[in-house]
Amino acid sequence: METATLIVVLVIVLALFFDFTNGFHDTANAMATPIATGALKPKVAVLLAAVLNLVGAFLSTEVSQTISHGIIREDQIDPNAFLPLIFAGLIGAITWNMFTWLLGLPSSSSHALFGGLIGATIVGAGWMAIDYSVVLSKVILPAVLAPLTAGLIAFTATRLAYAITRRYDTKPDGRDGFRFGQIFTSSLVALAHGTNDAQKTMGVITLTLIIAGVQSPSQTAPELWVILACGITIALGTYMGGWRIIRTLGKGLTDVKPAQGFSAESSTAATILASSALGFALSTTQVASGSVIGSGLGRRGATVRWRTAGRIMVGWLFTLPASAAVGGVMAVMVAWLGGWGILIDAVFAVVVILTIFLLSRRNKVTAANAMSEVAESGTAVKVTRNPPPTRRQRAAVRDEARREKEVSK
Amino acid sequence: MSITIDWLAFVQVFVAAMLATVLVVGFYSLGLRLLVRAGRVPVVGPAEFTDAITVITPKDAQRAAKAAAKAARKSPLTPAQRQIAAIGAYISFGLCGLAVLGGLLLIVFNH
Repeated sequence: METATLIVVLVIVLALFFDFTNGFHDTANAMATPIATGALKPKVAVLLAAVLNLVGAFLSTEVSQTISHGIIREDQIDPNAFLPLIFAGLIGAITWNMFTWLLGLPSSSSHALFGGLIGATIVGAGWMAIDYSVVLSKVILPAVLAPLTAGLIAFTATRLAYAITRRYDTKPDGRDGFRFGQIFTSSLVALAHGTNDAQKTMGVITLTLIIAGVQSPSQTAPELWVILACGITIALGTYMGGWRIIRTLGKGLTDVKPAQGFSAESSTAATILASSALGFALSTTQVASGSVIGSGLGRRGATVRWRTAGRIMVGWLFTLPASAAVGGVMAVMVAWLGGWGILIDAVFAVVVILTIFLLSRRNKVTAANAMSEVAESGTAVKVTRNPPPTRRQRAAVRDEARREKEVSK
Repeated sequence: MSITIDWLAFVQVFVAAMLATVLVVGFYSLGLRLLVRAGRVPVVGPAEFTDAITVITPKDAQRAAKAAAKAARKSPLTPAQRQIAAIGAYISFGLCGLAVLGGLLLIVFNH
């Protein structure tokens, strides 16, 4: 019993640590665009993102329920054996995150979490312990479709914004006003982030509490203290992560115009919020990246750098199976060595966390290693300095030439 | 073991997100357009200049403000027409805000 309590405490601590790193990493994603276009002062942006992440954690609990009452078939597992597996899965997720961070590979914290959890469950409890319908319809398919959806919507919105505000008489078009609007859209992105990312840790903790018999399986919503703890932790991580942004943010987004940023953020927020309401557990990084690429393509004369886009997408596709493999290895330790396996996993987790801490202190932040993934995805789109004329501009040029010709006759 | 996928849910997400984004971006853009028509061109300089910003410099902002004032003086519209355009602009911004609020309330009361 005491061992079970100890494991529950360890899982909660590790899950909250994961939540903190998630907030730390994703501040740049939510706020890189408004800072790059000068819509918000970096310090204000970071504080706003932290507060709205906390508010977002209270808005919806559908994503949390997907994880606590969907992915794993609780009736197929032995509760005593499963608690160490959740622990192993979390270590797998954190290890994969650290590995990709060190190598500078594009990855997704959320998919690392699912991968770790699924891998550890399969190894420890068998293939039947996973509900593949839920995994496919609420994790894998949204992972593929959500960035495409966000990209398509951002493309349409950018076209719309430019079409409505375009002027043909070279007088001021008022597009500077989008910079003001970005304060609201980037706030919505931070809010949406709280409704999706904070929920994932809530789901893991709720699952742990149900397995440990602390919470009734019929109670689908997380306990209030769980919502509060996860909300505060992700908000704290978001605020602490701000220092990275203040130094280098949006390096790859120098070419983002306010109208484009406004459209990209609206698309990101709408896609994440609509998905959260239906319980789709998304990677907010991937959705924001899809929007940035889509809005870039919405500008005239833009083309895709397929090599960069391909590299980013391959990184995304690898996250789930790779973290599942790491989670599986951690679970093998538990399955083979029992209590010793848990101890080895715990020591490994401490080593990984300490290494992250030491490396983050030692590594100097430069444009190369602090650029957010969303900012990096912006480089997948090439925008020409002199965009081709619109149909109406071409017609105006033709009219002008014809008139000149008539005058000269 | 059969795998069932609710494809309709994906369509719902796409339609809801597209509708919300088009409403928000459309109304906000329309508001800006009408504001320009009313002779009140918004000139919003960056809050802080980081090395990432190459979009506008303070000098550019001043120049833009001057151009906006000049364009407003030369507007062919009557004061009443300008007033109507300004009211239309604020209604558009209001509708944009309502679209956001409506979406959020839908999420809060739907779960």
